[in-house]
Amino acid sequence: MTEDRNALPYTDTKPVGAADFYTAINATFRFIFNRFGRDGLLRYWHELGTRYYAPVSQQWSKGGLQSVAEYWRAFFDAEPNAEAEVSLHANEVCVVVTTCPAIRHLRAQAREIMPTFCQQCYFVSDAMAEPAGMTVRVKGGNGSCVQRFIKRSDCSAAQNIEDIATAS
Amino acid sequence: MIGCYDFCGHYEWTFGWLEQLGGHELVRDYWVEAISEDSQRHASDLIVNHGIEGMRKYWQHTLEEEAADHVMTSTDEVYRIDMHQCPSKGFLIKNGLEQYHDYCDHCMGWIGPLMKKAGFVVDHEHNHCGQCWWEMRRVDDVTPPSAPGGLSGEKDVRLTFKWKTKRTDHYDRSTSSDDKTPLT
Repeated sequence: MTEDRNALPYTDTKPVGAADFYTAINATFRFIFNRFGRDGLLRYWHELGTRYYAPVSQQWSKGGLQSVAEYWRAFFDAEPNAEAEVSLHANEVCVVVTTCPAIRHLRAQAREIMPTFCQQCYFVSDAMAEPAGMTVRVKGGNGSCVQRFIKRSDCSAAQNIEDIATAS
Repeated sequence: MIGCYDFCGHYEWTFGWLEQLGGHELVRDYWVEAISEDSQRHASDLIVNHGIEGMRKYWQHTLEEEAADHVMTSTDEVYRIDMHQCPSKGFLIKNGLEQYHDYCDHCMGWIGPLMKKAGFVVDHEHNHCGQCWWEMRRVDDVTPPSAPGGLSGEKDVRLTFKWKTKRTDHYDRSTSSDDKTPLT
């Protein structure tokens, strides 16, 4: 994949992130789930997507599927040990994740992974995509998955949560 | 997917989200339960079991991974960090992110409880601009914090031109993020 940090709304001086932070992301999900249940965690993911990632939604609104593809290429270039292919098609962007960097690191550190960890990829991305008139469908998970970013108008079926694997 | 490249951004955003939901107490509980006891349990294992040697091992790895401009100084009695350019706070400043009123509190929020568990206390100051210093001593050691230059010599962050800012927060033999005294 080619690297284009301009596609990311927030940039750092180092080329890739520190993998140890995946343990904090996992622990944050667990804390919110334990305190506020599934509804609380879904609310967190949704508000993270709509508020923190609002600049991404704006990019996608302006640039359409091309900017969605550019964002995910830059995103996975900046995640340590990620293996992902992003392809742009006429009506969708397909992200094929063969090695999820987060699951890989959490397993390497022998961490207890939140079973719903992979659902973030639907709920956060859907919240990011909605203002741009898009949505996402996720299939797989627990280390590898396929994420399809499509126009909401082209999508009649809702995301089947059971299509997203339980993480372990 | 939420990534680790911009982790400090959504981590800081989460402090503000939690504070709106449950106030200061919820943020403090998050630092203790999620970060100190869960995420950073590898740090806890090292420091509780190996004291100052564990601190050396933990921070040598993590500060190198985060590309932090820092100096570590240690003896058998004290472990000191001079942070000249915090990569975490630096990321927030660079990207203009400020959802929570004092991001720097999170370090004492998770390190303090860990040090209490390990039998240490912390002297610490941060200037909200990416510079801070830390000294950890065993709880029964009443030695006061070093004077500027006393432990880390010319590498002491307090001797640099960046150190003086409008507001510095001070912690004296602390193990809690609630112990701070603002110095203006």
